[in-house]
Amino acid sequence: MEEQVQAKNKFVVPIGPQHPALKEPGHFEFTVDGEIVVGATVRLGYAHRGIEKGCEDRNWAQGMYLVERVCGICSHIHAMTFALGAEKLANVTAPPRAQAIRLLVGELERIHSHMLWLGVQAHEGGFDTLFMYTWRDRETVMDLLEMLTGNRVNYSANVLGGVKCDVTDPIASEILKGMDFLEQRARYYLDIVSTDETFLGRTRDVGTMTKEQALRIGAIGPTGRASGLERDVRLNAPYAGYVDFPIKVVTEQGGDLLARTLVRVKELFESIRLIREVLDKLPPGEISVRMPRRVPEGAVVSRVEAPRGEVLYYMKSAGSDKPERIKIRTPSICNWATVMATAVGHKLADMPMLLAGIDPCFSCSDRSVKIVRRDDEQYMTWEALRQYGNGFYR
Amino acid sequence: MSELSSLLALMIFPGGLALLAAGLLYEWADRKLVAQLQNRLGPRWFQPLADTFKLLAKEEIVPQGVHKGLFWGLPVVAVAAALTAALYVPLAGLNPAAAFRGDLIVALYMLSLLTLCLGLAGANTYNRFSVIGATRTLTQLFSYEAPFMLSLLGPALVAGTWQISSINQYAAGNTWMILTQPVGFVVALVGLMGKLELPPFDAPEAETEIVSGALTEYSGRGLALFHLGKDIELVIGLTLVSAFYLGGLTNPLAFLLKTLALLLILAVLQSLFARLRIDQTVGLWWRVGALLALVQLLLVIVLKGTGVL
Repeated sequence: MEEQVQAKNKFVVPIGPQHPALKEPGHFEFTVDGEIVVGATVRLGYAHRGIEKGCEDRNWAQGMYLVERVCGICSHIHAMTFALGAEKLANVTAPPRAQAIRLLVGELERIHSHMLWLGVQAHEGGFDTLFMYTWRDRETVMDLLEMLTGNRVNYSANVLGGVKCDVTDPIASEILKGMDFLEQRARYYLDIVSTDETFLGRTRDVGTMTKEQALRIGAIGPTGRASGLERDVRLNAPYAGYVDFPIKVVTEQGGDLLARTLVRVKELFESIRLIREVLDKLPPGEISVRMPRRVPEGAVVSRVEAPRGEVLYYMKSAGSDKPERIKIRTPSICNWATVMATAVGHKLADMPMLLAGIDPCFSCSDRSVKIVRRDDEQYMTWEALRQYGNGFYR
Repeated sequence: MSELSSLLALMIFPGGLALLAAGLLYEWADRKLVAQLQNRLGPRWFQPLADTFKLLAKEEIVPQGVHKGLFWGLPVVAVAAALTAALYVPLAGLNPAAAFRGDLIVALYMLSLLTLCLGLAGANTYNRFSVIGATRTLTQLFSYEAPFMLSLLGPALVAGTWQISSINQYAAGNTWMILTQPVGFVVALVGLMGKLELPPFDAPEAETEIVSGALTEYSGRGLALFHLGKDIELVIGLTLVSAFYLGGLTNPLAFLLKTLALLLILAVLQSLFARLRIDQTVGLWWRVGALLALVQLLLVIVLKGTGVL
């Protein structure tokens, strides 16, 4: 009885599936007591697209283009993870120049992703001026990517066995010019996010996660690094060009939103440094090698550090020209728990920034596993499903 | 004849139509300035007017469970209150349409009525965003109202009258009060931003948290009227602050220049900061705003009592 009364007094604020704060569908329920959040739940699955299953119906090359559509922001990362895994299965090694170009596009993409995030975060905190400024400057890196690969969003720079686009001297000098501009802008942003009193008021000591908590929950990427976890696949298990061009991991000890912002802004500098180094010492040679159509039997785990954290692919081949199974684990799914763990006790006004603080990607997270037994009522034969579908819209 | 001129004053100028037009134009100027400061293009000059017409033509959806009379009546009362307040302020630098001793207090309460209507409108619905928005609107009302009022009482005390037109005349004949009472000016300006729920004081309608706050359930006519009320409040607020602190408004040109200059400052302040949480807003007002305004007011009283002023 008492529990019922308590439940009645609870005031639940739903954020999503459709909400101005969210650019993708997700559903969050915050139980509030006045302005204070006392409970938080998350429900995902509104943007499930069946990409893993789709890969099984396509050959290896087509699959790579499909997984590039998993995420609209880290598209190169997914294609690269897929390509690296498939090459490992087929015992093919992409030439050094291709690996360096993969790194180059990956770092350009990281800059674009982090600047996008900074804008979104500023917008969630009602700081629209910073939002507009970051997105304007982000155009620079988008243009560079378009010049290099021909596309602004889904770059499709990879092919199985290498890359498609080469870095010529004029392109290299344009990229260097762009980097100079972006470095100067990044310095300006670092100054703003670490000195602006109103922005600090919204980020400092909000959503603080200790190193122990981060370890226990399994936070990855910049979210984990902001809590002092020195974890980065680029350093721990170098892939592509990162073997020859090592990175310096950026960490912060604060664990709050401010630390997460600082980590991402500082990673901009690191990416810019790496891009300059790669362009300076770009290995000569071919940019792709031949890849067999049929991939030998076997299974492999391919890991890559996306702007949001570690992307993990489990890829299994049965020796045909199509993958047997592709399992994708995107970084957002690991970080959701950190939001739910840190939300309680904060104000409702902090929730949008806290949600955006892990740089979430909703449609990336949406994989569904459903076990259907034959005697289930929900079990349907293909023919029955067709008839049901046809009848539904009649 | 006097009936006709009263009617004109109410319906056409300075109340009524002229004020609505001015409100829409000032809203456009504000949006355009902020857009330019944020590296955007901003709307065309007739956009606020077009928005209003569009909303007026739309179906008004009355949600289930609301008090219908309140739902329809509150926007009307809000606009009526704002229009009434306009009769006592020196719009366009001309003499107010009506004036009596103590009309400053009446004008200020008329302006607060709009915010009150907004809060009631939000609390009237079952929508969770509306209810939170209404709570925040009223919380904000209680936090900025006192400092804003204190900051406008400073000039009133110096002028020795609580009649807006007389304060205006006194301000025109003496040193600009922005120089003699700078703290009051800052408090009044920031108070005006709180009153209008402009960023960074837009927690009551923070779109990333509570959609549109108290007005979430409003569409069509009610929304248009509330927007018009806000626009009128913007003009009246700018007029009051510039009449009191920027050396009075004695002719249309001075009115235009001074209010637009003030609007420019407002636009810069709007684009400079991140949104304050509602607890930060309350803290700012009561810990800083109210104290400063009070100290200034005491100073004015003491100086006046000792005969310095």
